[in-house]
Amino acid sequence: MGSILRKVALPIFLIGVAAIMGIAWAPALLCGTVDSMRDDLGTWYKWDLRGERPTLTVGNIRQYLEGSIEGQFAPAAHVRFGHSTAVAFAYVLWPLQFRITRDVLAVVGVVGFVSLFAMFAIWWERKVAARMQSRLGPMRVGGWHGWAQSLADGLKLLQKEDIFIEGADRPLFRMAAYVAFVPALGLFIALPFSAAWIARDLDVGLIFIFAMFGVGVLGVLIAGWASNNKWSMFGAMREACQMISYEIPLGFALLVPIMTVGTLRLTTIGDLQSGGFQTWLAFRNPFLLAAALLFFIAALASCKRAPFDLPEAESELVAGFHTEYSGFRWALFFFAEYAEMFAAGALAAILFFGAWHSPLPAAWGESWRHGPLWQQALHGVVFSGPLWLIGKGIFFVYVQMWLRWTLPRIRLDQVMYACVQVMLPLAMLVLLANTFWEWLVPSRSVLGMAANAVCTAVGAVAVLAIIGISIYGFVNRRRLVGTLVVKHLPGA
Amino acid sequence: MSDTDIHSQREAPPGTAPAAARELRTEEMLVNMGPQHPSTHGVLRLMLRTDGELILEAIPHIGYLHRCAEKIGENVTPVQFVPMTDRLDYLTGMNNNHGFSLAVEKLCGLEVPERGHYIRVIMCELNRIASHLVSFGCYGMDIGAFTPFLYGFREREYILDLFEATCGARLTYNYLTIGGASLDLPEGFVERLAWFLDYFEPKIDEYNNLLSFNYIFIKRTANVGVISAADALAYGLTGPCLRGSGVKWDLRRCVPYEIYDRFEFDIPVGVPGGNAGIPPEVVVGDSWSRYYVRMLEMKQSVRILRQCLKQLAGGEFRAKVPRTLKLPAGEVYLEVEGVRGQLGFLVVGENKPIPRRVKIRGPSFCNLCIVPHVCRQVLLADVPAIVGSIDVVMGEVDR
Amino acid sequence: MGWLHNRFEENLAITSVDWVLNWARSSSIWPMTFGLACCAIEMMAAGASRFDLDRFGAGAFRATPRQSDLMVVAGTVTFKMASRIRRLYNQMPDPKYVLAMGACTIGGGPYFKYGYHVVKGVDLIVPVDVYIPGCPPRPEALIEGLMRLQDKMKRETIAKKAE
Repeated sequence: MGSILRKVALPIFLIGVAAIMGIAWAPALLCGTVDSMRDDLGTWYKWDLRGERPTLTVGNIRQYLEGSIEGQFAPAAHVRFGHSTAVAFAYVLWPLQFRITRDVLAVVGVVGFVSLFAMFAIWWERKVAARMQSRLGPMRVGGWHGWAQSLADGLKLLQKEDIFIEGADRPLFRMAAYVAFVPALGLFIALPFSAAWIARDLDVGLIFIFAMFGVGVLGVLIAGWASNNKWSMFGAMREACQMISYEIPLGFALLVPIMTVGTLRLTTIGDLQSGGFQTWLAFRNPFLLAAALLFFIAALASCKRAPFDLPEAESELVAGFHTEYSGFRWALFFFAEYAEMFAAGALAAILFFGAWHSPLPAAWGESWRHGPLWQQALHGVVFSGPLWLIGKGIFFVYVQMWLRWTLPRIRLDQVMYACVQVMLPLAMLVLLANTFWEWLVPSRSVLGMAANAVCTAVGAVAVLAIIGISIYGFVNRRRLVGTLVVKHLPGA
Repeated sequence: MSDTDIHSQREAPPGTAPAAARELRTEEMLVNMGPQHPSTHGVLRLMLRTDGELILEAIPHIGYLHRCAEKIGENVTPVQFVPMTDRLDYLTGMNNNHGFSLAVEKLCGLEVPERGHYIRVIMCELNRIASHLVSFGCYGMDIGAFTPFLYGFREREYILDLFEATCGARLTYNYLTIGGASLDLPEGFVERLAWFLDYFEPKIDEYNNLLSFNYIFIKRTANVGVISAADALAYGLTGPCLRGSGVKWDLRRCVPYEIYDRFEFDIPVGVPGGNAGIPPEVVVGDSWSRYYVRMLEMKQSVRILRQCLKQLAGGEFRAKVPRTLKLPAGEVYLEVEGVRGQLGFLVVGENKPIPRRVKIRGPSFCNLCIVPHVCRQVLLADVPAIVGSIDVVMGEVDR
Repeated sequence: MGWLHNRFEENLAITSVDWVLNWARSSSIWPMTFGLACCAIEMMAAGASRFDLDRFGAGAFRATPRQSDLMVVAGTVTFKMASRIRRLYNQMPDPKYVLAMGACTIGGGPYFKYGYHVVKGVDLIVPVDVYIPGCPPRPEALIEGLMRLQDKMKRETIAKKAE
């Protein structure tokens, strides 16, 4: 049974991904249908709308679907439904015209995605860590490579007793988990998964996300204080020190692409990178490439990931600021960490590495965007779509996990030294240099295009190297990993 | 137990926190580290008086693993006591067995045959490698690198396979008993050991690249917890702690016992940074030196093992020991070079099968005494680095 | 069992609910790093590459008792350490389990006769669910003990016990 499952595992996984994407895409398509209905009817009935879209009743929609509006002009591809189907559909489509329904759907989608991703990331971290340590990781829970491990973890944590420590500040103790968790979810409201897949396309989207990263610090501080435990307080103080300090180089690194692009709106920044690999912002000039690296390192420190994971330093502080948290409260901190990891990776992708576009220029697939549904889906997979952003986000999350299990921990004074004496001056220099570059060197000039070409070459070499090494490691995995191949003494 | 005086005007010892950290005065806190703690190797409790992140005083509290080993020694015969020696420094069972057996044999005047000698040296050096792998892994984990721990244990499994094939046990061997070894080496042992040595030697370089010369690791451990040679000798440190401070003292070379004088091997000591591939931040006697001495010792053990395999003799592996071995009146104190330092056994006999007194000098106990002296004016994150580099095993400290 | 234990009347849905809850609890055991002596080394070896406890979902060793379900008492319990063990056990949230690993924790082990400072068995201090014999037990024995504990967890129920 297991061998059969192993063979169909990949197809099942792909079908699952396609199903999830379909479930997420369907409301967007339906909303599009409703909007076109509203436009049609508004035009036909010549309602005096003063530029707004009309609000339809259920009856209007039913008639449209049945094609029973008197004298209605029918576009060629209009499908006519039977009466009961039309009624059912009308009730489904009617709420979708209101802003509030769409917002609720967006929030549900965002929360669903973050929860799913966090559960996936928890399982994946254990597998990645295991493989790097020549072990196997979860194998039994749920069957294939322990895929249900996160589910079991979550259910178990729900059953745990809710411990309150004597002397701890109860309201603050409870609040800390929420204050840490809600911003980590909230920043996904402004995070675009594609030009159309965004819950709220804010003008100041980047500032909003940056602010949410900062609010998370409060949760950690409150947790450390409210636990009535010296060790938690140590962890919280270290955390505050580290996260707040690293937000400065983070901000400077963020300013560099903003200055190049001239807007804070993330969808615009993403759209500017649609022309293929060389238009990705990180490869425009060497300063943007440096800014990308600085951003990634500062984001590592902000997410408290190794090598900057002092606040959770197990071998020194037992468990840092969440020492006294048990059960589901602790799971909230854990979730928040993985959500922030993905957000940092996705932000790096949006700002520097092509957002939701593939390395191929979007212009090559322009005709597919207006074709039938399956062509649009293919366009999303090949050229530009949310799958690409999620994939890039997952890649950066993988790099963060990789670093965690390879590098030792940096001591607090060295962390602060690195921030204030190394990264901050570097970030400022990069910003200054980029300012002069943008001012003096037009992007179409020889120097500009040469810089673009050099950085693109560097990027391409890096990507190819990663792919090559991964393939080599995969092909030679039995030889490279030690104990999985056990040799016994003769006769044993 | 502490001789610290935070108000003295004396120069801070080398390897302490930067001056800016020392000048900032805030409230003092009494913090307890252990006895259950992932970083202390076993049940060690450290009371820390801290000023923010700065440690003012560190006092070890021991005794959480006192298992009355010496009392048991007064009530059982030497052959029955050998398995209890396994549990002293439980990572180096063979060395403990060896030391005690040597002491009893010296008291009784027993002569161990040639093959017994070689088997003993093979087992002791293999156990040295196994124990250093654990300390390498645990030290990496203390500093925050989780992966070397797994690699160390992976290589260790091959050594434990060898031990298990020989005496049936992975950790508490009861193998190097009075008179030699209790069983002969199994068939295929020599080939398998040769295979292991060929497999393992390049791994030491790999782990040096992964951890020892890692920039972050060096920043965490170089110039941290510096113990001068004079201090080391004054506090009675032995083993890699002493050699890390530059003192070239190893019982296997300086006071040879067993057949160690037949082998060619070097004694690695701590050297100043900047030459011979040592990173420039390293100071003689810091945590990095003590750690690196252990890595080099693994290489030397491999060298000794290869020579053993070449010189391995056949024949008897155990002397003829009478069923009830009567310990003559008199006393013997004998020290061997255990993995963590000089492991000493005092056996006092009184013409009976059961000794009158067995006293054990645990090297970790003496090495631990330096902790209050060296953990002053350092940051909190340095304490696991220092204690990990001293590499104590509580079984030996508490006995 | 914590807040779910002994709460519900026996009814049709209990067995399915039990099954799911027990499955979750037994698939996600988080041990506490509580090595005292030699058995701790074998516990570490059980978590290492060859014997990998993480395969069973039990590989996430938590350093703090607040976040762990399982206390593997690995090593000799002495009088001085006994009060700490009890304290750590009390700090663990329900549902919690204890694995007594090694001969010393079962009944004093080799120190039974002459060990004046050794507690003759950790069940004198904390309630033990599974005893694992050996001195030290092989990592495979520890894994078997863990699987017996999983079996024990799977037999639990949230229904009220009959009078």
